[in-house]
Amino acid sequence: MTRQRRVTVTSPQTAVVLTARRGGVSVPPRRLSAAERERAERIRRRQLRLAACTLAGGAALLVGLPALLHVAPVLLALRIADVPVAWLAVAVLPYPLLATLAWWQLGRAERTER
Amino acid sequence: MIALAALPVILATLLIGARGVATLRSTSDFLVASRRISPTLNAAAVSGEYLSAASFLGVAGLVVKNGVGALWYPVGFTAGYLLMLVLVAAPMRRTGALTVPDFAEARLGSPRLRRFSALVVLVIAGLYLVPQFTAAGQVLRVVGGSPYWVGVVVAGASVAITLALGGMRAATYVQAFQFVLKLVLFIVPALWLLLAVGADTRHQALHPAEYSRFPVATEVQFRLDTRLEVLEPITVLADGVPLTLGPGEHVAPEEGRWVFPADGRVPGIRGVALPGSESWQRPLLDTAGSGHPLLATWSVLVATALGTMGLPHVIVRFHTSPDGRSARRTAAITVGLLGTFYLFPAVYGLLGGILLPELYLSGGTDTAVVALPSRVDPGVAGTVFTALLTAGAFAAFLATSLGLVLAMAGAVAHDLLPGGLRRLRVSAIATTAAVVPLALFAARIDVGAVVTSAFAVAASTFCPLLVLGIWWRRLTARGAFVGMAVGLLSSAGVMGASLLLRPDPGLGALLLGQPALWSVPLAFLTMIAVSLAGHPPPGAESTMLRLHLDETRSDA
Repeated sequence: MTRQRRVTVTSPQTAVVLTARRGGVSVPPRRLSAAERERAERIRRRQLRLAACTLAGGAALLVGLPALLHVAPVLLALRIADVPVAWLAVAVLPYPLLATLAWWQLGRAERTER
Repeated sequence: MIALAALPVILATLLIGARGVATLRSTSDFLVASRRISPTLNAAAVSGEYLSAASFLGVAGLVVKNGVGALWYPVGFTAGYLLMLVLVAAPMRRTGALTVPDFAEARLGSPRLRRFSALVVLVIAGLYLVPQFTAAGQVLRVVGGSPYWVGVVVAGASVAITLALGGMRAATYVQAFQFVLKLVLFIVPALWLLLAVGADTRHQALHPAEYSRFPVATEVQFRLDTRLEVLEPITVLADGVPLTLGPGEHVAPEEGRWVFPADGRVPGIRGVALPGSESWQRPLLDTAGSGHPLLATWSVLVATALGTMGLPHVIVRFHTSPDGRSARRTAAITVGLLGTFYLFPAVYGLLGGILLPELYLSGGTDTAVVALPSRVDPGVAGTVFTALLTAGAFAAFLATSLGLVLAMAGAVAHDLLPGGLRRLRVSAIATTAAVVPLALFAARIDVGAVVTSAFAVAASTFCPLLVLGIWWRRLTARGAFVGMAVGLLSSAGVMGASLLLRPDPGLGALLLGQPALWSVPLAFLTMIAVSLAGHPPPGAESTMLRLHLDETRSDA
């Protein structure tokens, strides 16, 4: 790690809030330009749609899998490598699924922003 | 002797912490290491901070106590970072706010909302912190025989000193170091245990038989007053005195040391499944004995998955990323890191259910992880691995406690009584000094249960504030305030009431003891309804939209 001069980093917005508090007056935040605004609105809508997809996947896992285990007790009798399938479904299966969802979401979200 | 295992962890923590001192200059340095941390290092730090005593000891203990269904807890803990990634990480970082209360003021421009959020931070962090210190005391007592208060005081002292010296910059290195440490100290003993127990025990662990009769004469030291349901007459040695119990309910006193005879029928405990029994093997949670395992499982998943984003010590950690994009990457990497760690509590839990089923009676299930090696191998190897696990467990509560004390100190010194660096340092020490006595009185609590209640409070207060604040332009300060107040009452308030009322096991007890399933939607709806009745503050729309612009190119 190279030694760099360390400076205090604060976003313009926090700086505004902090200055306002010190001065005892409130300063309205900087307005977005029309182009920025349009772009931000477009990105927000796309991110929201993407988030809905990922959340649906996550909900299918977190709501659906317990429900499946509840209605199909037979999974406790089925075994893979002598381990009950129902145990694998809670102890192992969710983690690769969650990681895959996270990876997919990360790539899509970064592309949306570009 | 084994208790000395905690010593290297404390020393390393202090050393790495001290390394941060020389460069510590401003409040921003102290709180977020001036945001110069790479996503991978930050993800390791997030995981290191997040893997608390509840993960290291609590999950395996809950498996022994409640059965395989307890493995849903870590699934929820991990899913929390997926939700964080999807909904919160990047925009939250772009607010430039240091803490949730800071976010509340930056987004909605209400100092009152900021102070209320700071109070919620204190509630959540307090609920999370006290059990960490409790676990420290219990583990050192089990492995080292030191009195409970010694572990608590040692943990408190090392946390306060590290923070007062180095702050968050120190904590980032400490946390990343501790994540690697915990991963190694958890996985290596697990693999050793799997090999050392032999094929027979491995087979038993996968085909558990109900723990219905004591295989040998078994000594149980009750941690709490415990109501036993005796099914067959049994003669026990209660503190050396023979005592015959007829069928019916009997209370074993706190700290009582009872020896149950070999082949005696194991007494039941209401609302708790016998290890190895059919309901123990079922992979759903039925903590309150409610008879609604699916609802109970969902409730825990809602609390843990949605609560993660509201944990104050986790949120502040995302601000150490340089920008929104790397905050998002941090969250994604964290999902993978946590998933690796959480593959292993099942090993300890299943082996514990076979080898230490009597913990189900004593109530000491939280110590299952550190008690396993000596049960498997009473010789040198067992001692060595007990020491390794003790060090890991101590690393776990130290890491989490560091972040929590920092979050509480931040809430006091940054939001409630704004001041400079000196006040922040003093607050860190004062916070620890306030929590240690609380933990001394909380020797009797269940670590996993109390930590989950902190998640439920976070899910019912900060989760709606963050999600609506980031994605919904019409949120008003009043809406946020009322919604959070309703969420706080329906989570913390209701759980507190259920502790006092002690409702009978059933659906009612489930809804009162684990309210997340209804308190989170209630908080969301209240926040939306009250906001719709008012007008958002001027400029709020710009403030919200800016959170979705990639700041590295918005200068153009």
